Amino acid sequence: MKPAGSNEVFSIKSRLRRLKRDTNRWSILTLAIVLFIALPVIAIAVKLLEGPGETWWHLVDNLLADYIGNSVFLIFGCSILVLIMGVGCAWLVARFEFPFRKQLEWLLILPLAIPSYIVAYAYAGVFDYGGSLNLILRFLDFEFIRIDIMNKFGLAFVLSISLFPYVYVSSRAFFLNQAGNLLEASTMLGVGEFKSFFKLMLPLARPAIVAGLVLVLMEVLNDYGAAQYFGVNTFTTGIFRAWFSLEEPETAVYLSALLISMVFALILFEKWQRRNMQVTGNKASRHIHRKVGAPLMQWFRFFLVLIPVLLGFLIPVAQLIYWAFLTAHKVFDLNFILLSLQSFGIALITAIVTVLFATLLIYFAKWSSVKGIKSISKLGILGYAIPGAVVAIGIMIPTLTFDKWFINIMDTVFGIETGFLINGTLVALVYAYSVRFLAVAYNPIESTALKVSDSIPDSSKMLGVGNFKTFFKIEFPLIKTGILSAIILVFIDVLKELPLTLILKPFHINTLAVKAFEYASDEMVMEAAIPSLFIIFTATIPVIFLNRLLIKE
Amino acid sequence: MKKLILTVFSISVLFSCKNSDKKDEAETGASTEQEVNVYTHRHYESDQELFKKFEEKTGINVNIINASADELIQKMTMEGEQSPADVLITVDAGRLERAKSNDLLQAVSSDILEEKVPSHLKDANDYWFGLTKRARIIAYAKDRVEESELSTYEDLASDKWKDKILIRSSSNIYNQSLMASIIVHDGEEEAKKWAAGVVENMARSPKGGDRDQIKAVVAGEGDLAVVNSYYVGKMLNSNDTEEVETAEKVGLFFPNQDGRGTHINVSGAGVAKYAPNKENAIKFIEFLISEDAQKVFAHSNYEYPVNEKVSSAPQLQEWGEFKEDTLNLSKLGENNKKAVILFDEAGWK
Repeated sequence: MKPAGSNEVFSIKSRLRRLKRDTNRWSILTLAIVLFIALPVIAIAVKLLEGPGETWWHLVDNLLADYIGNSVFLIFGCSILVLIMGVGCAWLVARFEFPFRKQLEWLLILPLAIPSYIVAYAYAGVFDYGGSLNLILRFLDFEFIRIDIMNKFGLAFVLSISLFPYVYVSSRAFFLNQAGNLLEASTMLGVGEFKSFFKLMLPLARPAIVAGLVLVLMEVLNDYGAAQYFGVNTFTTGIFRAWFSLEEPETAVYLSALLISMVFALILFEKWQRRNMQVTGNKASRHIHRKVGAPLMQWFRFFLVLIPVLLGFLIPVAQLIYWAFLTAHKVFDLNFILLSLQSFGIALITAIVTVLFATLLIYFAKWSSVKGIKSISKLGILGYAIPGAVVAIGIMIPTLTFDKWFINIMDTVFGIETGFLINGTLVALVYAYSVRFLAVAYNPIESTALKVSDSIPDSSKMLGVGNFKTFFKIEFPLIKTGILSAIILVFIDVLKELPLTLILKPFHINTLAVKAFEYASDEMVMEAAIPSLFIIFTATIPVIFLNRLLIKE
Repeated sequence: MKKLILTVFSISVLFSCKNSDKKDEAETGASTEQEVNVYTHRHYESDQELFKKFEEKTGINVNIINASADELIQKMTMEGEQSPADVLITVDAGRLERAKSNDLLQAVSSDILEEKVPSHLKDANDYWFGLTKRARIIAYAKDRVEESELSTYEDLASDKWKDKILIRSSSNIYNQSLMASIIVHDGEEEAKKWAAGVVENMARSPKGGDRDQIKAVVAGEGDLAVVNSYYVGKMLNSNDTEEVETAEKVGLFFPNQDGRGTHINVSGAGVAKYAPNKENAIKFIEFLISEDAQKVFAHSNYEYPVNEKVSSAPQLQEWGEFKEDTLNLSKLGENNKKAVILFDEAGWK
């Protein structure tokens, strides 16, 4: 007995040692990825050390209060609207049966397909003097009614209406997959519909809801186009002003740092509110059995759900189609097909690369058992909080250093004259997108990864199967849907992305978003309609696909 | 999946190599393919047309990077000596001046440019040249304002326009340049007072673009809008009949005719300091100043041509001749930052 026992002890010891070695390796790899992704952020942080520019105090005295006030207003305003629309619709489609529910279910995701600055332009076009609503009211002899949407309330509305699907998607996934048993239990106990929603479902769905909300708020803080057009000064418009109008990158960097700390606060808040919740794999949960209800109620629910679809998708698209109709003869040509293909290709490549980074980051951090590594790995998603233009500059600082060094080496050592290896090529662009959108890929993958209970991979590892093999054999099939939704979400975001693309895109390559912006930035909003519709069309197909995936899951 | 990613990576690497190969050839001149790399803030269909014409005429390929001037300047600064940019085109003189002071442009000696661009529309040392002009004018509600009530930009700060003025945000470069010109003509103190007066007179907090200001006048939100002349031209020729009717409802006034003249700005171009294709760059700008090209600028984009041999679009001729402020446009760039700071202090959003 004794020898066997010591043998066992020995083998456990060696396994422990190997585990420790592995742990270090994974920690280092995690750090390497975080460093790679955070490089632009670090480059900008280094600039912080140079001190703020001379206009910093001018900015603090005259503008900062306005920036903070408006940004905080947008955080609260958008949170309220997004929660009502996102969670409300998710609950209605998950819990009830009503006419056209299936169609509405994917229509509710479609607002994601329209860049929010395009929604802003479209709504300005609706409410403008001479705009669609104005003409209808004029026809009805109610022309005295004029609604001004170009203010901070309008901005909160426009941003919410184009971003609420993030919350809708995450909370619906929860309701569909996790809520069945509990709901059944609570109905059996005779708890009313309202009570079980507010007392049971909402608290349970909170992590899912907040995860979506954090994405929305990061997008809100990052918005430039819509805020600029509506004349609302936010941190992001301030960053552009400091950098470009006041010619002080140092001051812009200080503002960015403030903005990033706001986002950090949001992330910490999310962590804090999740502190006591261990999400366990509730795999056995049954799907919710949908309630049918009286016909009148059915139609009432139908109309409730229709409202966000109308506001977030149908109305802006109708306005764009009208404009496209007016300008098609001078804007549309075959180049658009080529342009669409280019945009599609770039978005797809980026989506795959970004998702790869996100997956590696999540699993390396998971495999490493060093304390704190997981928190550090979260730093990788910070890029989402930084305005695209700032990310672009952050990317250029280190990569240009490399490029110049490379050119120098090639020239002095080999006597070959080369061009930039990274800048002005797809590599820089895809790198920048990955930095910017890692958070978008990170969240869905992480949330599905959390659902996989640790026991299976753990036992596989105890059997001596390596991490990678375990991942591909066991975990990958389980998180496949998370990975696919991540690819689709990043794809859509890249398709819509603008400021970063403008700065980093190579010669010879163009995207639909850039094309739309070229028109819109010069007040040719009508001409921007056709490229915008192409973006929407290209993004709609994956969105529908995404919906299928989520339902299947 | 792994394979897919590998393929994607190798494709993008290949792509980057291909790109740099191309640049090598252009740099060493070994290739028969000539090119010129243009960083431009202009993004009009008419420009595309012109670039194509240039390609046909000279056989030199035109490569475009399109972004705002600020971003392009930032990009060129960071790229330094290795920047592929040959030509920088902006839509205002202030940014060209900034590019010059950031040491991004080089002086060019060209008899053609010397002859065809009037001296106040180019840099004194030939670092950049104006291509087209735009005037900052006043659009007023014909039914509520008599033309005789209007006089100067300075007058916009007077009490009689309380709650009547529509003008866009101070982050807009056209407003910054107007402010810079007022700083030069009237001094910093007066300029600040002027800005505060205009803020006092604003009908609403600044928002939207120039077209939106005109719409707001017609909607009755205010009586005067300060706008760029070429947007009015574009509205009058819009595909949306409603927009045409809106633009027809306002009168146009060119301020300061009895004094220094109406404030103008140019869209202009300069040759990059480290241009790899300097000769082509000069040819390119010379082409843009030529009568043929200027006609395209003028007629399809409603800008005033810089080349005096070319007449402006019929639409613009209808508005009549006007006296323009001949302040050298370099001054706008020099005073740009000061203008923004004064705007902020005056509370002009």
